[in-house]
Amino acid sequence: MEKISVKVCLGTTCFVMGGANLQELVDIIPRKYGDKVEVAGSPCLGMCSIQWNYSKAPYVKIDDDIIEEATVEKVLEAIDTKLGSK
Amino acid sequence: MFIDIACSQKKKYNQNAYGDYFISGRFPNMNRVVAVLSDGLGSGIKANILACMTSTMLLKFMENNSDIEKSCEIIMNSLPVCKVRGISYSTFSAIDCYENGKAKIVEEGNPDFIWIRNGEVLKPQFQTIQSKDFKNRKMKVYNINLKKFDRIIFCSDGATQVAMGTKEYPLGLERDGFIKIILNKLEQNPEISSNELSDYLVRQIQLIAPERKLKDDTSVLSLYCRDPRESLIFTGPPYHQEKDSYFAKSFMEFKGKKAISGGTTANIISRELNIPIIAEMSLNAGKLPGLSKMEGVDLVTEGILTLTKTLEYLESGKPEKDAAQTLMKFLLDSDIINFIVGAQMNKAHYDPNLPIEIEIRKNIIKQIAKVLEEKYLKKVNVQFV
Repeated sequence: MEKISVKVCLGTTCFVMGGANLQELVDIIPRKYGDKVEVAGSPCLGMCSIQWNYSKAPYVKIDDDIIEEATVEKVLEAIDTKLGSK
Repeated sequence: MFIDIACSQKKKYNQNAYGDYFISGRFPNMNRVVAVLSDGLGSGIKANILACMTSTMLLKFMENNSDIEKSCEIIMNSLPVCKVRGISYSTFSAIDCYENGKAKIVEEGNPDFIWIRNGEVLKPQFQTIQSKDFKNRKMKVYNINLKKFDRIIFCSDGATQVAMGTKEYPLGLERDGFIKIILNKLEQNPEISSNELSDYLVRQIQLIAPERKLKDDTSVLSLYCRDPRESLIFTGPPYHQEKDSYFAKSFMEFKGKKAISGGTTANIISRELNIPIIAEMSLNAGKLPGLSKMEGVDLVTEGILTLTKTLEYLESGKPEKDAAQTLMKFLLDSDIINFIVGAQMNKAHYDPNLPIEIEIRKNIIKQIAKVLEEKYLKKVNVQFV
């Protein structure tokens, strides 16, 4: 089974809008999912400059899906759904 | 040739203020550096005021190429008179040097400077000028030519007279003892920076003092002629997107140390040159996003927040442990700092809903450049693209 890739945006906008707290994921994800899910930071996913009109930072990318206004709970929920459907 | 200059000081035991004063100015357009070290009469606040006045005035006079003889008379006439001793007094050493090696040194009362070339101490010629208004005051004026890797060390008499009256040093460490310490260190570490050398020397002097209590203010001013260390910081996406590839390539071809400050900027370089980049996620990175890693680049940080914090640290001199501290160290380890500042703006940063104030990149870089030039005497080039 292919690993699920989680990328947390650590760009300026995302970081101040709550991305700082998402760094907890480096700790939580490996503990919860082992090597089924891979988590990494990204210097910037570039989302805020495209959708600036309705800024929904912080963003997290799970495989090819973007999670807007991401929180730790939202990310974990999305991972669970993904794992369930696989 | 770059002139690396630094001064380290220690106070007299039990005093709250430094009685020696160091001040310097760098003029990048003229490739010129001017520095003055002054030792005020007595110690504590009184000495501090005398030394501070002397060196500040002298620096201004030298900057404007005033006649040194006349300048010194003016300074001596304007210093406040000591209540106890009835004189106005402070000694000084001053150097005015250009990057082509031409240097003028003026000394009054301080120990003679030490000029080191290839591990040997040189003995330069000088001219003596007698003060008209003040007896017993003589200036020594040297016109010398510095070569690459030459070093010049100035000190206040606290350094040469340390431990005076003890069994080992009846007359103090003296010039010869001081030279020995310097040459020893240079033999161990021939490329030591001025900052490290002057720090080392004052520490050694304190170790020699009985009970490590200095009986006089002690200063060491070190000057080192060497190749400059250059660095390049790329921050912000270029205004014309079609030039991304050009700037990415010229960034990578730069010979010195390289840093990127900004997530989007890092992504552009990663995309254009096909080098992967990974952001470090860490729970202990402080209040700033952590560093990222990219092959061939010495340092990759987030942009505006880190730059704002770096400016704060440069101004206060009190960094905390985070990415801005790393960037600050990167900047201070260079002599010539080049910024390439992309003018493309990210509108999301100006959303009033963002919880903190985010400054315009151009302004922050301008302020950083100013502090680096004025406080840390760096040469700074800023290019907006």
